[in-house]
Amino acid sequence: MIFWEIAKRNIKIHLLRSSLAMLGIVIGVVAIASMGILGNSLVLSVSDSLKTVGDSVIVTPHVGSTMGGFGGGAGGLSSISITEQNFEQIKRASAPNVAIPVLQTSDRMKLGVGSDEIVAAIYGLRPDDVPELLKLKEGGYSRGDSGCLVGSTFADDHKVKVGSRIAIGTDGDKGTLRVTGIIEERGMAFDVNTDSAIVVTKDWFDQIYNRNDYDSVVVKVKNLDDLPSVKTAIENQMNKRDKIVDVMDTRKTMETIFEAFGQITTFVSAIGGISMLVAGVSILNIMMMSVTERIKEIGIMRSIGAQRKEVMSMFLYEALILGVVGSLIGGAMSLLGGYAISALLLETTKYLFVASSLIHIVYGMSFGIVISLICGIYPAWRAANLNPIDALRHE
Amino acid sequence: MVLLREKEQEVTISMDEQPVMVFKDVVKVYPLPSGDVTALEGINFKVERGEFISVMGPSGSGKSTLLNLMGCLDTPTSGDIFISGTRTGDMTDKELTGLRRDRIGFIFQYFNLFPLLNIIENVTFPMMLKSQKAVDPEKGRAALRAVQLDDKLFTHTPMEVSGGQQQRVAIARALINDPDILLCDEPTGNLDSKTGAGIMELMSELNDKGTTIIMVTHDPNIAKYSRRTIRISDGRIME
Repeated sequence: MIFWEIAKRNIKIHLLRSSLAMLGIVIGVVAIASMGILGNSLVLSVSDSLKTVGDSVIVTPHVGSTMGGFGGGAGGLSSISITEQNFEQIKRASAPNVAIPVLQTSDRMKLGVGSDEIVAAIYGLRPDDVPELLKLKEGGYSRGDSGCLVGSTFADDHKVKVGSRIAIGTDGDKGTLRVTGIIEERGMAFDVNTDSAIVVTKDWFDQIYNRNDYDSVVVKVKNLDDLPSVKTAIENQMNKRDKIVDVMDTRKTMETIFEAFGQITTFVSAIGGISMLVAGVSILNIMMMSVTERIKEIGIMRSIGAQRKEVMSMFLYEALILGVVGSLIGGAMSLLGGYAISALLLETTKYLFVASSLIHIVYGMSFGIVISLICGIYPAWRAANLNPIDALRHE
Repeated sequence: MVLLREKEQEVTISMDEQPVMVFKDVVKVYPLPSGDVTALEGINFKVERGEFISVMGPSGSGKSTLLNLMGCLDTPTSGDIFISGTRTGDMTDKELTGLRRDRIGFIFQYFNLFPLLNIIENVTFPMMLKSQKAVDPEKGRAALRAVQLDDKLFTHTPMEVSGGQQQRVAIARALINDPDILLCDEPTGNLDSKTGAGIMELMSELNDKGTTIIMVTHDPNIAKYSRRTIRISDGRIME
């Protein structure tokens, strides 16, 4: 249509002015999209780290508790812990779900003759519970007390393989364990953080560290819908009179974290949106200039038979072209910007090429086009409603 | 009732037999804060098909107001205007615009071509408005050849051709939708006398072929090309 052609040519003839208006849209789209991508990548990154523990209820001693049921731990790390009796109560309250008692400490260890001593976390688990909680990427679960599992980061950092030996304690005074398997990477978790730790049997742990109480209990809930009821059941059972345990529903906690991230993303994107509004004002300004410059042309068009809506469409096309081209450039730059930001801040770009990240580019571009059109409406309306006689007289 | 009878008559008379334009007791008053200004007072005239009329009058006599009313760019305060039998007074803006597009061809003193369009596009612009789709450029070429414009200039922009050539393009544009009337506002006012004479020769030729022309001018030499002159003074016709 001829009005589309005129709109295109007018943009071309005022290329510098049009480019500056488009630059505003480009910046707006980049601001919205890259902030959205960054926020979403952060959410995905945290989500990846936490996803393995979204099906658990974690029971830990309530800090500040003075209940007789909780005594000093032998490991020395924690002043209070969960007794066998407490564990049985938790187990009954959470049945038929599996309750896993967890022991935790840290100690010195040596990974071979001549190597330096390091300090790492040690988890003690009952052998039957280990497959419930941890997946292996290499080797097998240790059944005997002389075997242990190591986390993937621990294995990578210290070049530990299946079959390697680890001497525990100063100069190996607490014995030597053979690595039977390497645990899959779990990331940051609410239950056990095994990536940089070793996992031993409960019996070995009890024997070496003289511990009978537990540091925490992880309840693996089979049906995720039962998470709140399991949490309530444990709380009712354990905290009848005084609060002696803290019970955390990991899914709820994750939801709260993601909600907070979502709000941050929205807030940051909204700041990007302000720059888009500024860009919109620039489009409005340029369109008003375009109308003022072309009043006589509008008068001629109207006098030889162009309808108001046709004149209006010509200016809306112009705003649309500015918006679409600006948004396309902005979209492409957001992709590049998102790639750079992800690579620099998150050290991975795997969260960029997913729908939930890319949709922010679509949001940014759509917002750019809509803002351009909205800001083009008033100038277009003004052009369409000029009195043809006055417009023809305009010099 | 009078109006109804006239409308009934309109139906029975074929379009070719009707006057192209009729002004009946037309009054135009501009309300201003300082008081109403009467620009035209009781204008009556008829333009038959094939006429070539010049409208003359001193500055401020009401020529421009008359031209605006004839061109359906404005509506009268009272009285009736008929274009090929159609009363314009009650028409909406959309209908008046359609009437301008289909029945009236405009020629302006300053040519008023669109600088962003080439000559062919300028000429076919009103056709595109009418058909709402792309038109065959051959029709534009034929219209330009009819006003004796060189084929080599067809793809140039208006700024690349002379004033006389621009006015020929404007005439071709005005004629492209085969209008009932050609309305000209000082068509030679921006041209030298030789080029102006060439344009007037062309207009005379068009009139000889049956085109109805109404031309507003203050130049008696140009008015000589017309076959009838309407003189206007203080908003009244002094024919």
